[in-house]
Formats: sequence, structure tokens, C-alpha cells
Amino acid sequence: MIAPSNGHALQREILSSTKARARVSSIGSRSFLLEAPGDFDLAAQRRIWALSQTVKGWPDIAEIIPGMTNLLAILKETPEDPDVVVDRLLEAWDSALSIDLKGKTIEIPVHYGGQHATDLPALCDLSGLSDRDVVRIHHEATYRVFALGSAPGFGYLHGLDPRIYMPRKTVPSLRMEKGCVTIGGMQTGVAMLTGPNGWNSIGFAEMQMFDPTSASPAMMAPGDTVRFLPARIEL
Amino acid sequence: MSAIDFSDPATIAFLTDALTAASVAGLEISAPSGQLRIVISGAGEAKIGSNRSVQPGSVSPVLVRAPLAGYFCVAHLSGSAEASSLPRAICATEVLGFIRVGPVLLPVSAGRSGTVTRLLAEVDAMVGYGAPLFEIEVQS
Amino acid sequence: MIEIVETGPFNTVQDLGRPGYRDIGVSASGAMDPLAVKIGNILVGNAEGAATLEIQTFPFRLIFKRRSAFVVSGTDGNPLLDGIELLPWCAYNAEVGQVLELKQPPKLARAYVAIGGGVDVPCIMGSRSTSLRGNFGGNAGRPLEKGDRIAVGEEAGILPIPASGLGVVEPAVALLEFFPRSADGSLLIRALPAGEHKLFVGDGEAFWSQTWRISSRSDRTGYRLSGDPVVPMEIVEMRSHGVVPGVIQVPPGGEPIVQMSDANTAGGYPKIVGVIECDLWRLGQARIGTRLQFVRSSYAEARAIEQAVASYIEDVRRTSGQIKRALKAMA
Repeated sequence: MIAPSNGHALQREILSSTKARARVSSIGSRSFLLEAPGDFDLAAQRRIWALSQTVKGWPDIAEIIPGMTNLLAILKETPEDPDVVVDRLLEAWDSALSIDLKGKTIEIPVHYGGQHATDLPALCDLSGLSDRDVVRIHHEATYRVFALGSAPGFGYLHGLDPRIYMPRKTVPSLRMEKGCVTIGGMQTGVAMLTGPNGWNSIGFAEMQMFDPTSASPAMMAPGDTVRFLPARIEL
Repeated sequence: MSAIDFSDPATIAFLTDALTAASVAGLEISAPSGQLRIVISGAGEAKIGSNRSVQPGSVSPVLVRAPLAGYFCVAHLSGSAEASSLPRAICATEVLGFIRVGPVLLPVSAGRSGTVTRLLAEVDAMVGYGAPLFEIEVQS
Repeated sequence: MIEIVETGPFNTVQDLGRPGYRDIGVSASGAMDPLAVKIGNILVGNAEGAATLEIQTFPFRLIFKRRSAFVVSGTDGNPLLDGIELLPWCAYNAEVGQVLELKQPPKLARAYVAIGGGVDVPCIMGSRSTSLRGNFGGNAGRPLEKGDRIAVGEEAGILPIPASGLGVVEPAVALLEFFPRSADGSLLIRALPAGEHKLFVGDGEAFWSQTWRISSRSDRTGYRLSGDPVVPMEIVEMRSHGVVPGVIQVPPGGEPIVQMSDANTAGGYPKIVGVIECDLWRLGQARIGTRLQFVRSSYAEARAIEQAVASYIEDVRRTSGQIKRALKAMA
């Protein structure tokens, strides 16, 4: 199985894009991607949330995929004039007001350290912090779910302390267990599938966060607040 | 004047069509070589009895007819266009051709094993319901 | 009920997929050749999105445990029923105990077995497709295995298949003018420039002009293309965004990857082009080693092809129904 587009392994942050306008490009003939200008931050994401709510209601929309400060809009049919779609998306972006989704709070017990924390020593080396400090900094922060993607139910969490940022691996781990608590660049998350993964693991969470047979299969939703509770620290 | 072969399926088909077109109920021809009896039973369907005064154990021709009106095709349009050279031995379930209606193909199978000796309809032409498509010689 | 008698790896239950859940990270999955699924289902009298078996490794054999209408579509190989050769793209009746066998097809990659009533596995998130990556859907979330017994839905109200079968002029032939073949035998796939197209030298000239080959590191998730690497003029770091099947991304090595039915929901590599959706089934039928050339398309062309495909499907639906009714009345 190739995992080239694993958002996990690939997602990198543009540090800054000062273009004033959003950019719209296409994938094939009926999918349009709007990318927000500016920083990768909560303010931009709040406008993406607002844009998502607007676009979702358009009658010609089949599906939307909110990403990290961007939105992929999939139309039901190939439009006659793609420029009309681009203009509509840009207008909707320009008039999108920042909204704050009233999400729920999810508390995830984590076993920090131990056999699944395969990348904790490397993170200590990179940050110059002790393992105890890395773990403390990670669980003391409050995170927001920016978007879901890459694996069923996987939430991209924003709010990581810059002291423990860690770039994704250039060569992904071939088999990382589902449940690993990971850091990828300036984001953190919990692996939802066992398999190749480019993020760095510092612990493990038992909690089941995806159930395909449930009416709402994913536990996380954009806007949710996430806290990691240290159930056990094994250093 | 050459004698008409009343066992020739093309002749039978021609006569049948002519009788149907003329709304004639039937026809019986007796000749030294045998006897032909065609009864038009309505709805374009003909009952044909051909009696050749020949010895048993010889070959008798059978007609394969169009099960539906449509365009007649010999090879599967999708498959390799195997040149159906004649005569050719076939088995009962073998698909000899198709009646095509729009994009849909209705296979026409032989219904009995024997030897296909003649193609009786024009390929890619529109054929009516019951039109003779192939002649098969069945070893009796 | 059917029972799998023999199967290779990675044969799965697939329908038209579960789009609509990519915003929670769930791939759409679904058949690699959705056109074959629709036509197969219509011929046996099912709704066009009923679940089928997608067979991509051969030989494959199943035994019918109930009298069923069935069709093997998508393929260029002749299926065998109790050893008797049948036509692909042609619906037949199978009696209880008859064995359907599919051998390696001559050229194409995937065969679809549609059965009257449809493959009846649980519908999860709106689809019966197998999500191999998520381990759910289809037959217990996994590929078919020897000995699997799989339920088939009721054929209630389905018109009988004529005894000699009922077939179609397959899409590649019926729609030849919309799916042209190249003179040198390579597959022509139409695409539109995507977000980072301009980052490639000469407006992606090297991508459009060369003949690519589908590499052996290809599967239902995506196809890697072998050829002269195409490299962007500058390295851009993309934020993770939604992707759909057909997107062609170029990772740092310069070997493009086409995302297919099990495409991840998110990606971040530069996107050079997006294949138009109505050409995806042809990619789905292209085997490892197939040579490909990409042709610049337009929205107008994509619409024209979509309309031609839709009217072909509608024509098959209407005409096959009329023929079945006519033959039933005459019987």
C-alpha cells in the first residue's frame, strides 16, 4: 500500500503567505480548492469554518472537505464555466466572518513514555528539554481540532507549544500503532490507523475515537477542544 | 428454366415473407423432389414443414431466426472479430450472432449442434422478428 | 448466497463508494471501474449502485448457492460457467451449484461480478464498499477469502434474463469517439492543470509530452508513474488539504502519483494536474506496465463526455428493460 498523500507525513506549514486574496485552484473538473492567505492560525481556521458552513448549503455542492486553512468544495457536476465557481468561492471567503464553533471538550487519557514513545528521546535531543518537561508541556496545553482528515476520525490538533515542535520524519515509520500520540511539525494528534506514519510518537492513548457503525462515526469534530490527561508517565 | 429448390431456406423465407405480406394463410407445393407446406399462423409467425423425399440419415437444414427485431451482428462487438468462415461446426449453446437494439445485444444461439452452412441475413442490417439468420445442417 | 471457492489477494466487495465522509477522514473507496458496476447492475436488473465483487487477482471461482442472474462486466476475459465459456458484459442465469470461474483477462485489470439482488453485506456509512485501510465495510472489512459465504439480496420484481443471455456493446466500443485510442497503443488520459501546475518548468511540458508507465508500486490507493522525473522549480510547503481520486501529485522524487479509489482524504504534495472523472474508469482498468499519455482537457470536453456516458447508461437501462419485457411477453 502506498501512502503518498498521507496528510500525516506530508502536511507542512507555510510559515507565512502574505497574499491578500485567497487562492482557488481545481482538481479535475468538479473539485475546487480555496486556500486562505496569511498565517496558519486559529483566526484563519475560524473563517474556514464559517466558509464551510456557507458553502455546504449551496445546492450544487456534493461534498466539502475542510483542511488546514483551506477548503475543498466538490460540486455535483462539472460546471459550464469554472470562473463562476471560483468567483463565488472568493466572494464567500471575502464575506466569511470568523466564527467560533462551540465544540465539545474531549479528554484523552495518555500513557506517556513507554514502548510506544519511540520518538521521545529524539524530541528531547531536538528541544533540549528533559523527557519529563516534554510530557508536561504536551499535556498542559489545550488544543483545538482544526479539521479531520488523512485517516478515519483523525483530528489535526492546533495549539502545540512551540518548544516541542518537531518536523515530520523524512522516512516514515513503517508500522506505527493505532493510538500513538504524535507530533508532526506544529501539530499533534492521535494515530487512528496502524501503518506507515511520519509523525513522532511520545505516548499512547487507548480511547476509541472512530466507530464506523455509529451514527456519528468520528468522536472529534472541527472546533472541539482536546486535552490530554497523563494517565501514566513511564520514563 | 432451372428448378426451384423448395428446401432452400432462402426460398422458404422468401415465400413466407411474400405470403405474410399478401395475407395469404398458407401454401403447399408438391414436386418430385418432395413436398413443402407453409402455414402462416398470424403475427408473422410461419409454421413450415418441409418433406424431402430422401433417405433417412442424411442432413436436414434448420433455420435460426431472429428472436427480436433489431440489427443483426455476427461477432460480438466487444470481442475479437473472429471471421466466421462457413461452413463451421457449432454446438447447441454457441452464440452465432446478436440482435442489437441500441447498445443492448441479444445473443442468438444455435439451439442445436451441427454445421452452420449459410448466413441468411445481411450483417449490420435491420432484421424483423422471425427473420432467418443462419442455416444449420443437423446430422440426423 | 454465493461461496468463494478460489481467490487471489485483494479481491473485495465494492459498490460506487461512500463519498460524503471525507470531511471526517474516511476515503470514498468504491469500484475502480464504476461504469462496469453500473452497467453490470443494470443488466441483471439491480439499482446501478448495488454491491458487486471486484476481482483484480485471478483465477477466481465462486459457486452459486441459489439460482441467480449474474454478469461479469468490465473485463475483456471470457468467464466460464461450469467450464462453458461465456461472454463478458453479458448477463446470464446460473443454477444452484454452478461454478463461475474468472481467469486472468487478456489486457484489462479488473472484472466485476454483479448478481441479481446485489451482494448483501451490511451497509456502513451509506455504502457496502470495503474500506481496506479502515478495515470496515464490504465483507467484514477485508478482502474475499476462500470459503467466504456471502449473502445476495432478493431478486424481487426483477425481470428474467433471456435464456441465451443479454449483453451490451461495452462502453469502450459504444463510446469510442469519446474515449479515443492513441496510434501507438498508449492510453490517452485527459486532465486539467491543478493548483501547482505553474510551478513546473515550461508549464509542465515534461509532464504532458512524455509517455508514462504505471509502476509496480500501484494499487487501489494510487498509481505511481515511471518516467523522466518532473520537479517543481521551487519547493513549496503545502498545508494539508482535501484531495479526490484523479489528483496527480508530485512528491520530491519527481515520480507522479495518481490517487485512485482508496485515495487518502488529505494531501500536501504539489498537484500538477487532475484527471477528469469520466476517464478514471479507464485508469482503473489499466494494469501495471500500461503506457499512458496525458492530454490537456477542458471543462466543455469533460461535460460532453459526462453527458455521453450518462446517455449511454440511460440507453442501456431503458433498452434492456424493454427487451426483457418483450421477451417475457412472448415466452
